[in-house]
Amino acid sequence: MTIKHESQKIAQNFYTFAVILFLVQIVVGIIAALQFIWPDFFILNFNTIKTLHINALIVWLLTGLMGATYYVIPEESETELWSVPLARLQFWATVVAITAVVLGYIWAGLNPQANKLVFGTLMLNEGRKYIEAPRWADNLIVISVLLFLFNCFMTVLKTKKWTGIQGVLLGGLTFLALMYIPGMFYTKSMVKDQFWWWWVVHLWVEGAWEIIAGALLAFMLMKVIGAKREVLEKWMYIEVGLVMFTGILGTGHHYYWIGTPAYWLWIGGIFSSLEPIPLLVMVWDAFRTTREARAVTNKAGLYYTVAHAIFNFVGAGLWGVIHTLPQVNRWTHGTQITTAHGHLAFYGAYVLLVMSMIYVTLPAIRGVKEFDPSRAFQAFWWMTISMIFIVLTTTGAGMVQTYMERLMGLDYVTVKASYNLWFWIVRAIFGVGFLIGVLIFVVDYFKLGKEPVRVIKAAPERA
Amino acid sequence: MSNKGARNLFIVGSLFFFAIFLALSFDTIGKLDKRAPEITEDVNAGKMVWHKYDCIGCHTIFGTGSYFAPDMTKVSERRPKEYLKQFMMDPKSVKPNAAMPKLGISSEEADHLIAFFDWISKVDTNGWPPKPILATAAGVNSRELSAGQKVYQSLGCSNCHTISGIGGTAGPELTHVGNKRDRAWLIGHFKNPDDYVPHSAMPKVKAPDADIEQLAEYMLTLK
Repeated sequence: MTIKHESQKIAQNFYTFAVILFLVQIVVGIIAALQFIWPDFFILNFNTIKTLHINALIVWLLTGLMGATYYVIPEESETELWSVPLARLQFWATVVAITAVVLGYIWAGLNPQANKLVFGTLMLNEGRKYIEAPRWADNLIVISVLLFLFNCFMTVLKTKKWTGIQGVLLGGLTFLALMYIPGMFYTKSMVKDQFWWWWVVHLWVEGAWEIIAGALLAFMLMKVIGAKREVLEKWMYIEVGLVMFTGILGTGHHYYWIGTPAYWLWIGGIFSSLEPIPLLVMVWDAFRTTREARAVTNKAGLYYTVAHAIFNFVGAGLWGVIHTLPQVNRWTHGTQITTAHGHLAFYGAYVLLVMSMIYVTLPAIRGVKEFDPSRAFQAFWWMTISMIFIVLTTTGAGMVQTYMERLMGLDYVTVKASYNLWFWIVRAIFGVGFLIGVLIFVVDYFKLGKEPVRVIKAAPERA
Repeated sequence: MSNKGARNLFIVGSLFFFAIFLALSFDTIGKLDKRAPEITEDVNAGKMVWHKYDCIGCHTIFGTGSYFAPDMTKVSERRPKEYLKQFMMDPKSVKPNAAMPKLGISSEEADHLIAFFDWISKVDTNGWPPKPILATAAGVNSRELSAGQKVYQSLGCSNCHTISGIGGTAGPELTHVGNKRDRAWLIGHFKNPDDYVPHSAMPKVKAPDADIEQLAEYMLTLK
């Protein structure tokens, strides 16, 4: 496994930053889990910890996807990246901007009065979930993403080899960049605020990101198994097509109860119920292709790729569809069932996606012929089993909450502090289990290709 | 289907569904202002306070947010304003075991937030949150409610107080209140809580004397 173009190595900068932020995300996640049991547990309040938890997630996934794209584009275009210095500049600009934003969150968390209103925007934290980053940071992020896209498109234009994979990948990334804009202006109405906010959040994770996932799935199956591009690209178009046909109007399942007209109950209910279909096609696609596999050298890469397809369907698809109908959602909306869905969806659809891209491309970047996948497997099972229990405990908590608070009329605080306490304790324990998996992965990431391959000696013959 | 056909279907289909989505969004945006009261300066200032303290980092509003603290959609209907203001400015002074920290919300900011929550509670949300089935079912098992129980329900006391597990936790639990208080204390306290509990966040019960007496009778049965 070696790279064909020297400039593909830039991917590693992004991967490293992503892996470090992943670790940060899980550590603050455990603090947040403990705050469900002891709200005063840490110097920073839950809102700041949670902001760090989900922002670290989004940023590490995005930088991971950027790195992956910088790897894919030269490979598909069969040429060097248009400008490596520009990619490097864009990388460091991103690191500096993100660090400044994080320090701002912590500052605002320690002293909310420092979060001042200047020219109509809050300077440290905009107080809008996922897109808390202040306006000045939004602008920096937009510049960074535009530089990134410019660099990629210029590379493609060098050889004009518009392969299906890179076309869909760059299309998804452009859609992603465009859908950041609806979250960048202030509205006096909280209803309009949430209306536009869902354009960003939903059309990212159930639109643009799934398109990127479809393209990268095809790329990985091609690289790891050597499957035929023709067939892979055709199914990729069908998958991402179905993602868009169901997902765009599926946005309606967020417009049931926020003050928007009632016709969204129908539109959202029908289209979002169909959203698992493309994800199921991806699973079938991965299985069909894998069956053809003869000699696979990158076992870890294959393992993560298939796992990504499966858990994308289970987390984003199944755990979403169980509460997407308005008749059900009326009772479950805003409960821990949403938390459970959020965790399994992000893990299956995007955490495993970026990790599989790392395992598929990193050996080539480091020039490794063969590597021992045992740590990759260990990390996978620690993380996956822990995540399943995190999801089951929060689903259980959500069912108890739906029944006791929504149906019986018990107080939110009573249900959370008494009846669901056991779930919080078990969830925190499995949070530590997940951290163990991440630590194994981090060690594997930094050591991969840098230690001699263990030669398995034949067992000595018995006398 | 050829690759080119699949690609074209993806592109044209996506644009088609996006066009429908844009048209529906345009229609929705035009209807939103009619589904909510007018936004005053105070409401807008309150929204900014909501953002400044990153309230959504713990709470939810319209059911969207962080699931760590109660939903705020109907809070201004379910809690007296005096209580809300005192709680926002110093949560533990009203409710010693409150999980919410003292964030430094000023008196003016609290008033703005209340105006904001008032606006939120009047938005047409297609009936969300639904009323709990069991708590609203009066006379379950053909059991008649006593006059005092009816007063208790009509005044919305259970928004803040709990009896046998049902109700809010903003005020003290009342399951065994009959053991602790006598008739005179209860009636006097209903008429002016501050005289009996210094700095009480409970509003005066504004009801005819007959109702207040019935309510006290009901309280005395809770043992």
